[in-house]
Amino acid sequence: MNKNYIILMSMLLVLAAGLLLLPEKNNTKQMNPEELMWDIVQPTRYVTTDDVAKSIIEQDPLLMLVDVRPESDFQDFALSGAINLPLEGFASDDTRAELDYPKKNIVFYSNDDLRADQAWVLAKRLGFNNVYVLRGGLNQWIKTIIQPVEPAQTASAEEFSQYTFRKGASLFFTGTKLSTTATTKESVVVTRKKKSSAVAGGC
Amino acid sequence: MHVHELNPKKTLVTLTLFVIIIIIGLLTLSQPRLVYKMDMKQSVDLALNNQGFVDQTELSDLLKNPGQNTVLIDIRDTYQYGRGHIPGAENISAVELLSEDNLKRIADLDAQGIKVLLYGNTLTEANGPFMVLRQIGYNNTKVLIGGYQFYQRLESSKGDSSKQISCVPDQAEYNYAEIAKSNGTVTEGDSPAKKPVVIERKKKTNAVAGGC
Repeated sequence: MNKNYIILMSMLLVLAAGLLLLPEKNNTKQMNPEELMWDIVQPTRYVTTDDVAKSIIEQDPLLMLVDVRPESDFQDFALSGAINLPLEGFASDDTRAELDYPKKNIVFYSNDDLRADQAWVLAKRLGFNNVYVLRGGLNQWIKTIIQPVEPAQTASAEEFSQYTFRKGASLFFTGTKLSTTATTKESVVVTRKKKSSAVAGGC
Repeated sequence: MHVHELNPKKTLVTLTLFVIIIIIGLLTLSQPRLVYKMDMKQSVDLALNNQGFVDQTELSDLLKNPGQNTVLIDIRDTYQYGRGHIPGAENISAVELLSEDNLKRIADLDAQGIKVLLYGNTLTEANGPFMVLRQIGYNNTKVLIGGYQFYQRLESSKGDSSKQISCVPDQAEYNYAEIAKSNGTVTEGDSPAKKPVVIERKKKTNAVAGGC
């Protein structure tokens, strides 16, 4: 074999080995801090309690609720269908595996929204993009869905329809049954106006 | 006859140059401007242990001696800052904070032992930027519990020693299990205040409503 071919082959092999070893340092697939900061200042990650209530009631298959509080808090109370991924475990590979559902909308929640927001920052750093935060957390859930506040008389129609939705959602989530009492139907007497020969609609 | 058989030396030189260029490229071009100095485990600890969170006691001390060892930074937009901010605070948005000049300034302040306290309307608003700055290695940054809203409540309750205002991050304001449990059956037309349910509320310690 020609000596030059051998030299060429060995150099290319060395080069290939180098390419395999070098990129390990930067190949962590984590989000760039500047990009992360930019995403942090966007308010689009916040979903309202009304949104989530609607999704749960409609059995939205894309919704994935993640409770980031400690297990004991999760056992005491959790939103329907939520899974528990305590914040403590966010550095582990197990958590990474549990969040690996690119088609779903993952919504983090906690008592308020601080822990959920922290979880969101960590998940974004790890490269997850389909993650959201429940604005106000469970505190807001109680204030709006479980114990909605009746709007003032001067409020807009929108607020009233929102209140109606929330009242219904409250019944749904507390498992309260609504019974409709049969009202005795009064016989309705229809009196027809006597048709006079006067011309209607003016002369 | 192939070229490399005619000029073995030339081939070798070209190849060596080629390899050197590739190595230089790999080492220099793939470094982003900002890199994480904290790994995931440290970042999780940072979040869970409320590291860098400044409570009202620290804030009061700070405000008594302004400019001594802490620089206050308001990360909200210009309009909100203009409407009202903590006295002595500068207005720098979160994204601006990552500019070369600002990062250099934060590093210089660190060298002088001066802290940088970030605040937004709430703790949550400033927490994200705070986390990023910590994770890229700026350890003299801190964040204000309760944010500007809490500061306003503190100011308005000054002199009224009967009002004890506190603010605990991510505190549950209710006993969720109790409040959200079933009310049995209700008839349409019942008033919203359902009498038979005994709700045991967690003692409200004047905790700030609307989150801290």
